[in-house]
Amino acid sequence: MISIKDLTVRYGNREILHDISMDIVDGAWTCLVGPNGAGKTTLLKALLGTCEYAGSITDNNEEVFRNHNRNVAFVPQNPHIPAGMTVAEYVMLGRSKRDGWGNETLVSRTFIADILQQTQLYGMQDQHVSQLSGGETQRALIARALAQEPTLILLDEPTSALDLHHQISVLNDIEILKERGVTVVSTMHDITLAAMYAQYISIIHDGRVTLTGPSEMVIHSPQLRDAFDNRINVFTLESGRPVIVADKAISERGIPQTEA
Amino acid sequence: MSPISRIWNWRITAGAAVLLIAIALLAVSIGPIPISFSSILRTLCGLNHGLSGEQRTLVLDLRLPRVILAALVGAALSCSGAVYQTVFRNPLADPYLLGAASGAGLGATLAITASHGNVYGLLPIFSFVGGILAVLTSFFISGRFFAEPNTLLLSGIAVGSFATAVQTFIQQRHSDALRPVYSWILGELTAASWQVVSWSAFYILLAISTMVFISKKLDGLMLSDEEAFSLGINPHRLRIIAVLAATLATATAVSASGLIGFVGIVVPHLVRGITHRVTNRSLLTIALVGAAFLVLADLGARTLLSPAELPIGVITAFVGAPFFLFVLRNKRVSYS
Repeated sequence: MISIKDLTVRYGNREILHDISMDIVDGAWTCLVGPNGAGKTTLLKALLGTCEYAGSITDNNEEVFRNHNRNVAFVPQNPHIPAGMTVAEYVMLGRSKRDGWGNETLVSRTFIADILQQTQLYGMQDQHVSQLSGGETQRALIARALAQEPTLILLDEPTSALDLHHQISVLNDIEILKERGVTVVSTMHDITLAAMYAQYISIIHDGRVTLTGPSEMVIHSPQLRDAFDNRINVFTLESGRPVIVADKAISERGIPQTEA
Repeated sequence: MSPISRIWNWRITAGAAVLLIAIALLAVSIGPIPISFSSILRTLCGLNHGLSGEQRTLVLDLRLPRVILAALVGAALSCSGAVYQTVFRNPLADPYLLGAASGAGLGATLAITASHGNVYGLLPIFSFVGGILAVLTSFFISGRFFAEPNTLLLSGIAVGSFATAVQTFIQQRHSDALRPVYSWILGELTAASWQVVSWSAFYILLAISTMVFISKKLDGLMLSDEEAFSLGINPHRLRIIAVLAATLATATAVSASGLIGFVGIVVPHLVRGITHRVTNRSLLTIALVGAAFLVLADLGARTLLSPAELPIGVITAFVGAPFFLFVLRNKRVSYS
């Protein structure tokens, strides 16, 4: 289990995360939601171990900062796509930690073919990643994460800039990882999608975690409305699925709505 | 569904090695006095019926050290170019980027103006120290020791401009030094001797082995630092090792042969373009092809207008540029 205690992160004089304590459940999907600039990406980087922090983050009782013993996959929001790199080379990078750099085994090459099939990229392995469409690029990133066979995957806005169809296909690919027992932590702007896929949601607001819990509970909480300045509405469909939408009337008038 | 193919085929590397040996033999045998392949091979293998006494001197003391030096310099410049391109995530990066060339140029100019007669004693040492100092200064003024590649790049450009300005000033004050400085800038391998070959071989082979040793991991530096970390790499440390090794190779090459342009950009892209692979596993191949390329260029430099010699930098650009454009136009390389 990943356990965060009294986590504080500073960039220079600015405090980005204040005194966060929470646990992340193994083998489940936890989604971090909150407005832009709340500190979601910083929390992901802290979980990865690349960002300096005060307090502690332990993964199976090991401190995560600069810890290379863990096998964590990271899918950034704006990845550097190396010019001229093929899909096969790119996805194969995910095997580096398991096989040792540059030693692609037959097992790995078969495994990669399998993953490309799953992520609907098989047949495109010799294309350049930089020439893929947005949805395909995102799937190539997920494929690399799958190749890594991680115990934890961190995804920063995996569905931003994708159309609805591709959002679903990417989220389904991530679900494959979860079904294999991988712990998933992602940030997501679309709270409706977050509620649909994640078992747990954490609300991050001004660098603090204001609420963590099962999605169903968090979605209907006042803390969620608070994080978005009461400018959202939560509806429940007949199927029982929650739908979260921005409240247009409130935004336009710019004043809080009062009960009639 | 079949397994995906290997990322790098080592037969390409073996092919490049054969190419280098063939071109090197060719370069040793061609000249004002042609010498047959078989007698060169017999002599090199220690067999009877090899070269005559005169031929022996010509081959072993004049042509061979020059060919080996050309190979070393070509390997050093192309390998460092490829490494800089990866580290700075910039396909236009070349080995002279961080001020190594301008620093070495300043050092060489100082050596040439200080010693009126015996230029070649001081020149390699001065230009080597100048090149290394310029790169270290770039590191130093970029602040947090290489936290951000672009900052280092910019400080390299600033240091380079400064060194060039100082060099130009000195040149203006000593107009008699103009001609030797200019010919050094264009690059030349005429000073090749076993002494120069041995010290430059030591540094260049050390630097190239380091770069080849870390080459597989270098692919991780093409990604963001977070992704590289998640794949088990310490990006800061790897970058520093890579840049120091590339700088050592470049400074040595420059001090042995002056500024030979274009090799560091054209050879890596040529290999990537032909093999259709951008992985740094091609680094050894790039070094071998770079060596072959410069041996061939030097052969052209000393034979095309024989007995006069062309500056080798003119040949590398004259042949390299159109060939490079041809490869680019064929869309084998993509930088979108």
